[in-house]
Amino acid sequence: MKLRILILYVLLLFMLAFQSSNDYLFQVPSNFPKPSYDFSKNALTSPKIQLGRALFYDPILSRNNMISCASCHSQFSAFTHIDHALSHGIEDKIGFRNAPALMNLAWQKLFMRDGAVNHLDVQALAPISNPVEMDENIVQVASKMQHTFIYPQLFYAAFGDSNITGENTLKAISQFMLTLISANSKYDSVMRKEVLYTAQENNGYLLFKKNCSSCHKEPLFTNDSFMNNGLSVDTTLNDYGRYRVTNNAKDSLKFKVPTLRNIEFSYPYMHDGRMKRMADVLNHYTSGIQKSKTLADELKTPIVLSPNEKVDLTAFLLSLTDKTFLFNSKFFYPKELFLNSSKD
Amino acid sequence: MRSIKGLIVFLLLSRALFSSAQSDRIKVSINLNISNNELILSDTTGQMNENTSFQIDVLKFYLSNFRFYKNDTLVFQEHNSFHLFDEAIPTTHHFIMENSENTTYNKVVFNLGIDSITNVSGALGGALDPTNGMYWTWQSGYVNFKLEGRSNKSNTRNHEVQFHLGGYASPNNSLQTITFNVKNLRDIKLVLDADNIFNNIDLTTQNHIMSPCKEAIKLSKIVAQSFSCNQ
Repeated sequence: MKLRILILYVLLLFMLAFQSSNDYLFQVPSNFPKPSYDFSKNALTSPKIQLGRALFYDPILSRNNMISCASCHSQFSAFTHIDHALSHGIEDKIGFRNAPALMNLAWQKLFMRDGAVNHLDVQALAPISNPVEMDENIVQVASKMQHTFIYPQLFYAAFGDSNITGENTLKAISQFMLTLISANSKYDSVMRKEVLYTAQENNGYLLFKKNCSSCHKEPLFTNDSFMNNGLSVDTTLNDYGRYRVTNNAKDSLKFKVPTLRNIEFSYPYMHDGRMKRMADVLNHYTSGIQKSKTLADELKTPIVLSPNEKVDLTAFLLSLTDKTFLFNSKFFYPKELFLNSSKD
Repeated sequence: MRSIKGLIVFLLLSRALFSSAQSDRIKVSINLNISNNELILSDTTGQMNENTSFQIDVLKFYLSNFRFYKNDTLVFQEHNSFHLFDEAIPTTHHFIMENSENTTYNKVVFNLGIDSITNVSGALGGALDPTNGMYWTWQSGYVNFKLEGRSNKSNTRNHEVQFHLGGYASPNNSLQTITFNVKNLRDIKLVLDADNIFNNIDLTTQNHIMSPCKEAIKLSKIVAQSFSCNQ
């Protein structure tokens, strides 16, 4: 027990020593625009990021202490739920939508497939409370953490206060999520003029710019807005997307335009995960569009791509894979925190 | 030159002394009226008429952005002005606003609920901490006013009545502004008349509001009109 405490204190000291400014901890990639997140209200520090990382991986956030954020957002699949069209949460209950991939969140204004969440800080409240995800509430989460050995100390190290509040819990989770930046794909290297595309990738890039980039806008590969991309309504779900939030008929069947970064690893695709392969997605855009009143203008005239062009476009999409993100040890399960303490 | 500096120092000092001597405290207390009884949660029954009774189990709401006017000129505005009233927690039934100067006013204005900018400002603390149970999780935004109870008129399970009123975005912004033309009070006594709220709702059809909507705005207006000041 004594050894444990000693290890923990050494660790805390280590974290404090490396506490540094927001600018150091959050570097805007040279080819990226200014982030939307207001860091002045939640400036990044190493202890807060580490606390957020612990919270992200800790099932204490769920009612039965078995489901963590990472349960449905695993790093190797760009923080989505690989192989699951709809995610399963607590007691294997099945959710309503496909878990979105998490990256470059500092550049997003609204969250969830329908934009129901208006700020990154309050996003975590939704899965924590959802009866088929974690089925817990933030009051209980704070109270459970207050009674652990490790969390009062981690909160003290991060916020100078061992009393655990909802505000600090949520801000810490945001801090970790803000650090999930993916900007090191081959595409980024090409943009930074460090490497060149192959002829095939380059042709794919031209096709992308012609057919896809107005919604999947570079360099984030999303325009951060809500569009109807011509999917038929799945009558087992009857999901009308953003309409559910705004009750405005103009928003019917609109869903958030997802980023295409790391698309190679973030399958299955679409808000309900109905498409398993990238080829299914391209075929949808060339021959599967369902017309409806709110269909995106960009899709009203069909996209035409030959089989060879689809291959080239796929080669380009694969250049959006960022292995330094998918395997960045800073985002790993924080075993150094969890293995040195128990919930006594 | 030296004398000017001296004069400035003198003026600053005297101003500091003067204003501290005049520091001002305005107390606000909030009480409830339920069929002319004081409310005890889950216990007091209001009897609107011989056919309709009601009982309140939960009553929580935000009063925010207190500002004071003299002839329509803003004379004092409370900084970080967010107050969560919870019937179950007596310490939330009154609060004190401190002002460095003596305020003379003839109008007090405040909001029932949380303004839209605060609603899109992320995780906040104190009265605004989501652990206070006044924040929606499935869709971002504060619950401005929460009333849960029972009425024999409601044909829901256990005659339950649940009103969670909120919504900050157009067209479902339910924030209400409340104004009282009162003069220089140092002890503002607000009373929320529960009878008036229930008298204006048809509980047989309206017993359940849980999201931003037109009905939430309508009921928020009724709640705002049910406040009175120092009567």
